[in-house]
Amino acid sequence: MSAQMRSAATIMQINGITIDDTFAEAFPMKATRLVITAHNATWANHAAVALTGFATSVIACGCEAGIERVLGSDETPDGRPGVSVLLFSMSGKELAKQIERRVGQCVLTCPTTAVFSGLDAGPDADRAALGKNLRFFGDGWQISKVIDGRRYWRVPVMDGEFVAEETTPVVKAVGGGNLLILARDTDAALGAAEIAVAAMRALPNVILPFPGGVVRSGSKVGSKYASLPASSNDAYCPALTPLAKRTELAAEPGEEINCVMEIVIDGLTDGDVAAAMRIGIETIVGRGAAAGVRRISAGNYGGKLGPYLYRLHALLGKEAS
Amino acid sequence: MNGNDRATGAFRLRLRTQPVLRLELAGLTPLSLAGESSVEVARRMLWHGNEQLPLGEFFDVEALAADSAEIVFEGDLSRCDGVGRGMDGGRIRVEGDVGDYVGAEMRAGEIVVTGSAGMLAACEMAGGRMEVRGDVGDYAASALPGDMDGMRGGLLLVRGNAGARFGDRMRRGSAIVFGDAGDFLASRLVAGTIAVAGEVGAHCGYGMRRGTLIFAGPQPEPPPTFVPTGHDVQVIWTLLARSLVALGGPFGALAASHPRRFVGDLAADGKGEWLLPA
Repeated sequence: MSAQMRSAATIMQINGITIDDTFAEAFPMKATRLVITAHNATWANHAAVALTGFATSVIACGCEAGIERVLGSDETPDGRPGVSVLLFSMSGKELAKQIERRVGQCVLTCPTTAVFSGLDAGPDADRAALGKNLRFFGDGWQISKVIDGRRYWRVPVMDGEFVAEETTPVVKAVGGGNLLILARDTDAALGAAEIAVAAMRALPNVILPFPGGVVRSGSKVGSKYASLPASSNDAYCPALTPLAKRTELAAEPGEEINCVMEIVIDGLTDGDVAAAMRIGIETIVGRGAAAGVRRISAGNYGGKLGPYLYRLHALLGKEAS
Repeated sequence: MNGNDRATGAFRLRLRTQPVLRLELAGLTPLSLAGESSVEVARRMLWHGNEQLPLGEFFDVEALAADSAEIVFEGDLSRCDGVGRGMDGGRIRVEGDVGDYVGAEMRAGEIVVTGSAGMLAACEMAGGRMEVRGDVGDYAASALPGDMDGMRGGLLLVRGNAGARFGDRMRRGSAIVFGDAGDFLASRLVAGTIAVAGEVGAHCGYGMRRGTLIFAGPQPEPPPTFVPTGHDVQVIWTLLARSLVALGGPFGALAASHPRRFVGDLAADGKGEWLLPA
């Protein structure tokens, strides 16, 4: 990989791909990790997919959630195959509501599953109910069991019993880290996004909540319609390059940008989001400009809204001068 | 008297001779002694029968060079009752046997008895950890006479055998017996977990309302008021077994087993369970 300053001091190119001198802007969120286990990996996955469904954006889903990784039977509390999922929301109260609804409808209902907290946050951590309220589904037949200081609820169901840990810790987390992939065409943008998603999903403590980890409808704050809090990010829409008041896609002839994809990252810590963004960029630029990616950029709000700023050049260890 | 006047947190109390009458040590907890000198500790008054005498009449008090709140008892304390009663932190170690009510109503901390304990050990224990390396007498982990609820939290380990009525009216916590248990084990159990590795006496689980009984060794025949349930309990069993496996000994191989489950006592709601892994 070769890096060089192209012209102005703030322009960075790696393998012919321009890294914009900009930053991603992210926000504090509340998060938890759940471990779902089942009789086999298939049913654990069914529950995890259902639990993390319709959880792409807090704008309308209540939470952002995703599968963090698949767990072997030697990694779970009950010795069965499992899946770890991360859920993020804007407040602890909303997160608790989402956990109860989603676990109640998607895990309690799924054959053979059990659900456990996946975080060790200490005794003083904030906690959200997990099995604490779902136990009432047992209609009085539920059984509590405290094992090594952790309380579990056993709710009789038609396939046996549903075991759920009573609570799960809620921790501070970071949501909204992002990368924008500006490419020659759809094939190039999708191809780059797919390999970046694969590399980023291999990291712990992060999820990419959008379908396939990729979002094509990047948004800006506000709208000409007063009732809408967000609307299409026209500056990055190739259909509007010649029309919008401000475009980010202006390019020399032969360097046109006709497709943009975004990858959004939620992580348990600042460092987790940064690590995911870094490996995402490195994976894309590793293929070189011949694969069709022209630029890598990031979305922000001028740095005024979110406390977490991820400067792309700094992530790559090459601060623009 | 050994020791000095320096305030400290740890003491060794060596019993000089066996007291003539029962000696009451309740209230002599590690945290209550912390900050006192050995002289002050020796001046504490103890009930000996129906008269109060200074602790120094019975024990040599030695301040130990340790920062943590700790009491080490040495000697045959089998006539000393209430050791660690109401304890709410720190450590007590008894080198030898101890009398009745050891660890009764304790809420936190750790007690280790290297010998055997008398009656009502850990009765109404609410938290912390207590280990008796020998035997315990009757009514361990149960309720104080006249009370409705027995042990209600914490962990009790009995490396030897337990007397009758072990866990009577117990409602929370875990109590483990490595040896045999006497009659009426877990009678009127309200909740909590009891695991036994040896033989059990008659009327096991009598009037058991909820809670879990695990038989790691010989598998007793459930009484007629207990009935089998055939469903898959592998999840909760694995959680329980993994916790017990850490204790080693007869519990070491539990994780690989698939227990039979019985519920009862049907004469008292029937929500208690027996897990028979062999």
